[in-house]
Amino acid sequence: MELSAAGNGVQPIVEARDLSRRFGEGEAAVDALSDVSVAFPTSRFAAIMGPSGSGKSTLMHILAGLDRPTSGSVRVGDVELSELNDKRLTELRRDRIGFIFQTFNLLPVLSAEENILLPLSIAGREPDREWFERLVQTVGIADRLSHRPGELSGGQQQRVAVARALIARPSVVFADEPTGNLDSKASGDVLELLRHAVDDFFQTVVMVTHDAHAASFADRLLVLADGRIVHDGHAVTADQVLDLMKAIG
Amino acid sequence: MAKLVLRGFLQRKLRVLLTAIAIALGVALMAGTYVLTDTINQSFAAIFKNAAKGDDVVVSPTETLGREKRAQESPITDAMLAQVRSVSGVAEAAGAIFTQGAFLDVHRKRLTSGGAPAFIAGELPKRFESFSPVKGRFPTDASEVAIDEATADRSGLRIGQQMIVAGSAPAKSYTIVGIAKFAGGQSFGGAGTAILTPPEAQRAAGEVGRYDQIDVAAQSGITPAQLRARIRAALPATVAVRTGEQQAAKNTSDLEQNLSFLRTFLLVFAYVSLVVGAFIIFNTFSITVAQRTREFGLLRTLGASRTQIMRSVIAEGLLLGIGGAVLGLAGGIALAPALDALFKAFGADLPDSGTVVETRTIVVSLLVGTIVTVLAGLAPALRATRVSPLAAMREGVEIEPRLLSGVGVLARGVIAALVAVLLTALLGSGAVGVILFVALAVYVTVLLVRLMRGGRPSHHRVVPALAKVVGVLVTWRGITGRLARENSMRQPGRTMVTAAALTVGLALVAFVAVLADGTKATINQSVSRSFAGNLIVENSQEGNEQGIPALVAPALRKVPGVASATPIAFTLGRVSGIKDNANITAIDPSSFEHVYRVEWDKGSNATLLGLGSGGTILTKSYAKEHHLKLGQTISVLTPTNKRVALKVLGTVDEKSRLLLDLTISLPLARAAFGQREDALDFLTYAPGYGDSRVQPAVDRLLAEDFPQSRSRTAEQFKQDQAGQINTLLTLIYVLLALSVIVSLFGIVNTLILSIYERTRELGMMRAIGTSRRQVRQMIRYESVITALIGGIFGLVIGIVGALLVVTLALSGSGYVISIPVGTLVVLLLVAGIAGLLAAQLPAKRAARLNMLEALAGD
Repeated sequence: MELSAAGNGVQPIVEARDLSRRFGEGEAAVDALSDVSVAFPTSRFAAIMGPSGSGKSTLMHILAGLDRPTSGSVRVGDVELSELNDKRLTELRRDRIGFIFQTFNLLPVLSAEENILLPLSIAGREPDREWFERLVQTVGIADRLSHRPGELSGGQQQRVAVARALIARPSVVFADEPTGNLDSKASGDVLELLRHAVDDFFQTVVMVTHDAHAASFADRLLVLADGRIVHDGHAVTADQVLDLMKAIG
Repeated sequence: MAKLVLRGFLQRKLRVLLTAIAIALGVALMAGTYVLTDTINQSFAAIFKNAAKGDDVVVSPTETLGREKRAQESPITDAMLAQVRSVSGVAEAAGAIFTQGAFLDVHRKRLTSGGAPAFIAGELPKRFESFSPVKGRFPTDASEVAIDEATADRSGLRIGQQMIVAGSAPAKSYTIVGIAKFAGGQSFGGAGTAILTPPEAQRAAGEVGRYDQIDVAAQSGITPAQLRARIRAALPATVAVRTGEQQAAKNTSDLEQNLSFLRTFLLVFAYVSLVVGAFIIFNTFSITVAQRTREFGLLRTLGASRTQIMRSVIAEGLLLGIGGAVLGLAGGIALAPALDALFKAFGADLPDSGTVVETRTIVVSLLVGTIVTVLAGLAPALRATRVSPLAAMREGVEIEPRLLSGVGVLARGVIAALVAVLLTALLGSGAVGVILFVALAVYVTVLLVRLMRGGRPSHHRVVPALAKVVGVLVTWRGITGRLARENSMRQPGRTMVTAAALTVGLALVAFVAVLADGTKATINQSVSRSFAGNLIVENSQEGNEQGIPALVAPALRKVPGVASATPIAFTLGRVSGIKDNANITAIDPSSFEHVYRVEWDKGSNATLLGLGSGGTILTKSYAKEHHLKLGQTISVLTPTNKRVALKVLGTVDEKSRLLLDLTISLPLARAAFGQREDALDFLTYAPGYGDSRVQPAVDRLLAEDFPQSRSRTAEQFKQDQAGQINTLLTLIYVLLALSVIVSLFGIVNTLILSIYERTRELGMMRAIGTSRRQVRQMIRYESVITALIGGIFGLVIGIVGALLVVTLALSGSGYVISIPVGTLVVLLLVAGIAGLLAAQLPAKRAARLNMLEALAGD
């Protein structure tokens, strides 16, 4: 498989080579990933799909520096993750990577604004007010900034989470089933936002999903099965995705 | 999955252990107290039994006024001994001397430690003597001494060396000719015995021609009871006649009564720790029940009845209680020697041979530990049954354990605490105090339970407000501080109960600290206001109410520069028609006005001169309480069983507490009250003399002839008093520290449970780049905030309680209020540090959290 299959020759921002991840030992060992190599160029929206146990979450965790591969290497920007200790890896996640979770994971004790600014607060950095204003306008929660997560709807919470993922201008945003807990209207809003971040803010987004409709918002579709990439191509419509998934079955 | 279950179980195991320890510490102190006091009692019983060896009958002075200190002249004379010997059936009778004195080495350093007594004894005929020489021999002339083995070992004394024995007679140096061992081989604690020849013992003890008791052996064929009856008939009422067995039993029971104070004192601290432990169990159960709501809901859906659910929770409490109690009991048995060491460190070195574990100790410890745990877990168990099956099964149920807080509640709690403290202070008795304390604890717990069920969340204002204020301390540290503050306000009820555990201990510490500071200030003021002399001479052994020989004052008057030396003595009397003994101060009427500023209610310094042998002065409060009028004549029974008529000549408004209920002349005290010793001598200097010239001369005289005494300027005297209070204070602090430690376990527990609840949040924070250090910091700050809230509540309750006691119970007594600001600041710091310590383990766990599992746990 060509690394640059969907890369259009641009220098990739995230690149993985020969990733393997084995859980357990001996006979009970399970290979979640087997020799996966993949690259993500900047300003592209990639969707990763695959059935349960296909290794898609494991791949994302390793790419994001949340888990370490059994073998192989991951590079984010010019940094080789395997060379980092826990402290540096944490700093990398803080400064270079944005996260969006299925369950939003906002801190209930902080206001929407504070939640958005959390990555900067952790880093002890002053926010860029202009960027912050632009973000809250974009995600459409300018009038909800002083509310706590408990006072927001699921869609609003996830939009706050999107703003939080973007506030530090990370190299890449990983989204793990971002629409999994949302109704279709809210899902559409969040996916539009991610699309917008790629097109207008030149963000790189990698999204794990099992929702064909969500995948159709991406530029590129990767499909995993049994720890291997079985499809890597340009994005397609939701129906085409479904057909593809059936074929892989 | 199995891994997760196992992890959950391990987590639970830690929690169970922490909770069990919380209750075990209190039980341990309780069990340790029983073991220690039982051991001491039994050791004394064995000593008394051995001391009564060979005694068929014992003649001792009658305790006319109940159990009292032996500062009186003994009614047992040589003539009485001759009388006993003449009773038919007496095989042998011997007069015994066993009187407290002081032992010193040749450098005038005391050989017995702390408050432990040093006895001067006369050698007895073989059949009565409980000591036997292990090295050397008993003394044969007035220049020799045999000393007990423990004292010799402790001080490295050997045969042939010199030592000084000081009794009521001037100190004298003796040659050690023997090292003796007590028959039973029991430890005497810190006490020591110096055996002299009988006449020399009488002389040294200041009892020439007199004895402390007579030991009598019966001829064969005559029972002790028969002989006792015969001797009784022959002797006056000033002496008591008992069989040897009766005497040993009486000594033992007297001692147990004296020591019961020690037991009550220690038990109070054990109960404090138990109450704190109860708080922790209550809190832990509340949180875990809330966390397990879904589990209970599921069980209910599957058909489990409410009773079954409740039973399972109560069973958990029962198991925990039994486990904690057993742990505590074992700990207590191990703790007893530590308690003993603690008392030794504070100067109370009591005999203790072996370890006595009575059935009562085991039963009471297990019962109290278990019952407290089950009771504390009852309310949460009830809550568990209220879980509606459907509500519990719903996704993402947010459980806010509705718990107290709110000014009204706090106020009620404070009032209850104060009432209890007040009653304790007023009624004085330790046992009553314990009962009240337990009642209070129950009341507070009930209050908490009620609030937990019925309290409205809108009332959660105090804790968040405090958290906000305290949080300022950490918010400058950035987001970790900010989050810590927010997290501590999240469930105010939980924070409050966690903090309350610390509050109990700190409130008591603050209460004691404020009262102690006031007492010091009061003593300072009293000395400054009332003492008009230049120097005070007292016994140098702190913590022992021994006086100084009556010979000291005449000797001091000969020191150049001393203008007057006025002895003061304390004794007892029973005024006809009044049930309790009156405390009596005896003074030297002619010189007293030079050394003391009497605050007269009725009378003047001239009244003093009229005291003579038939006059007395009362304190205003004593006169008022017993409706005694000026000019009235009262009849007073003395410790030596004499009756004197005293006319009330005046009343004093005494705030310095030197003049007690009655004041009489010293010659009367010597003649009618048998007063041998003085408590203090007050000195004045001749014009032109100062401390720098007179005090060294006084000290030289004291070192030479009365080494058990020392001189103190007013300033030094104040410092000594403050020092004694500080010693007691430190002891109380050490014991209260246990309850603070117990509350630490509560904080640890709550934090661990809270972290468990916030697993997902912590996982997210770690994922988006929060470092382990930041996570640890956040948990520590949260812990510090909780601890400081507890500390602030504790200080406020303690201070208010102390002030209330002072204003209500001690008003008009001249008590000076003084707030030890420094100490209180330190206490708050201690609370903060305690919080930091408690956070160590939870912070470590939080930082070690596995991010992927935390985020996956849907």
